[in-house]
Amino acid sequence: MNRAVGIGGGALIGTDLYVPCIARILSVRDETPDTKTFALRLRDPSEQERFQFRPGQFVELSVFGHGEAPFCIASSPTRPDNLQVTVRRTGQLTDALHTLNAGGEVGLRGPYGNGFDLDAAYGRDLLFIGGGIGLPPLHSLIWNVLDERSRFGDITILYGARSPANLVYRDELKEWAERRDVRLLVTVDQADSAWDGRVGIVTTLFDRTALRPETTLAYVCGPPIMIKFVVQDLFVRGFAEEAVISTLERMMQCGVGKCNHCAIGHRYVCRDGPVFTYRQIKELVE
Amino acid sequence: MQQAGAKILRKASLTGWLSQLIERHEVIAPVAGHAGDILFSRVTSPQEVVANADNPLNPPKQFLLPPTDPIIAIRDIGDGYHIEPIHDHRQRVIFNIRSCDVKGIKFLTSVHVFDLVDTSYVRRAENTILISLACNVPCADGFCICTDSGPFLQDGHDLQLTDLGDRLFVESGSEKGRSLLDTADAFFQPANEEDIAQRLALEKAARGLFGERTCHFASAMRRISGRRVPEALWDEMADWCLECGACTMVCPTCYCFSIKDRRECETWVRCRISDSCQYAAFTLEASGHNPRAERKDRMKRRFFHKVSAEYYRRDEAIGCVGCGRCIRTCLGAADMPTVVAALRRGAWRE
Repeated sequence: MNRAVGIGGGALIGTDLYVPCIARILSVRDETPDTKTFALRLRDPSEQERFQFRPGQFVELSVFGHGEAPFCIASSPTRPDNLQVTVRRTGQLTDALHTLNAGGEVGLRGPYGNGFDLDAAYGRDLLFIGGGIGLPPLHSLIWNVLDERSRFGDITILYGARSPANLVYRDELKEWAERRDVRLLVTVDQADSAWDGRVGIVTTLFDRTALRPETTLAYVCGPPIMIKFVVQDLFVRGFAEEAVISTLERMMQCGVGKCNHCAIGHRYVCRDGPVFTYRQIKELVE
Repeated sequence: MQQAGAKILRKASLTGWLSQLIERHEVIAPVAGHAGDILFSRVTSPQEVVANADNPLNPPKQFLLPPTDPIIAIRDIGDGYHIEPIHDHRQRVIFNIRSCDVKGIKFLTSVHVFDLVDTSYVRRAENTILISLACNVPCADGFCICTDSGPFLQDGHDLQLTDLGDRLFVESGSEKGRSLLDTADAFFQPANEEDIAQRLALEKAARGLFGERTCHFASAMRRISGRRVPEALWDEMADWCLECGACTMVCPTCYCFSIKDRRECETWVRCRISDSCQYAAFTLEASGHNPRAERKDRMKRRFFHKVSAEYYRRDEAIGCVGCGRCIRTCLGAADMPTVVAALRRGAWRE
């Protein structure tokens, strides 16, 4: 019944459950007016060495004096020296985090959660569907997949945001668009005068994409309303419930299945998730 | 009952033994508070211990899970932050704790060692000796007979005392208990046949004194885990909850918490702070979304965690020890026996 430490393929750093390590901010990049990406490195080189994770896992990040909160790791494990989190300003802690600059220090514990099951994805076609700030967890997986490109079939990325100003990772979107081994389609709900791309919600991109439901795994991250419609459309197009994979968001405190904030029934988003197949999500009731 | 090695402590020797315990440990026991309330508190002399006291309104979980529990000290030392874990190494004895509360601690221990081990809890639990006092007469609100957590204990205690009038019957339930007795040998004498017979008779009599007082968990569990509780019933029951969270504060098996930073002089102290799943903000996300914004959903959550088959399989116990504190505390009618009875009936009122 008991599970081993670091079930997500990562090894927990630190000994006591709630004691963070110190991480230095290497750089801060503005993504949108309210979203920044922080590149981090653990101050202690041996801790940095031991910090291993898989895409889809998260960390508890502290801004000292303001507490801590969970953030998904946005960078890929294939690029371990550049640990990134992408954070939108939505409250007291994220406000405080946004005031920090390169050289600043934060607390970090983890990695936590199950993460995406890469083994199940080898050899398959992959479809990534992101909405707004939902791209960061997929960003980790996408770079992992691209760094092992030959092990996967077709790769399609569909990304939608409310407006061009809400698109994150713009440089990388350009890079993906230029790659011949990736198909990227981007759309915005509402264009501005400078936008010459597609307009419409992300589900409109399905009509421009040839999907192969029998060989494809679909990874969906974004706001609940977007997920709802994307998932419906995937099922209409023949995807099985096991082939649709998403991450759940809940209020979290401890990150290790003790505090009960993120419990759904007897399952814990922090420990049993945050990655679930749609079939598993359907069974989460209390 | 562990008859082998059972001892007798003359009540005249109790003060001497307690003095020795107080010398060597931090002793927690039921004492009379300022307004006459009985509460668990540290005692520094044997006279403070109230013998045969009513069970205090607060369970002794605060000595294993302090409501505000400092975990780490965070200092900015000029060239960066320095983090120091805060460990509680106090050697404690909880004296005259009742059977239900021993089972409550046993439950808390099981959830804190399940999956990832919570070392700060385990450190305190390992350094705590439980000396329980069996209940010869069930307390007014207790239904421990329905939760297998009293009136007498078969396990969970380090020592169990039974009041035989002019003397106490002492049985040990663990290695910790046995070695504690070894260090205080002079106060005790071996129990004889008559003592053992009296102890067994008292337990049998106590079990017979519960009368009609019952709480049918099995049938509540079937309905909750079979998803057979009408939504309208939760609506109705939620009208009788004032969202004060007191039931969770006084419950020996509740352990939800949050983590917050507090300023103390030049240091930030990160604390683990008791929280309650009955508060609306418990599941409020930064985005403003709240999956349990409705009171009935929070009530559903509490009873799912307490009596569902899913949690029963995980924890190997239901989350209730029958102490009856929620009955005494609830200003409405959201206590365990009332809700369990309604779940069983499938209706709020008969």
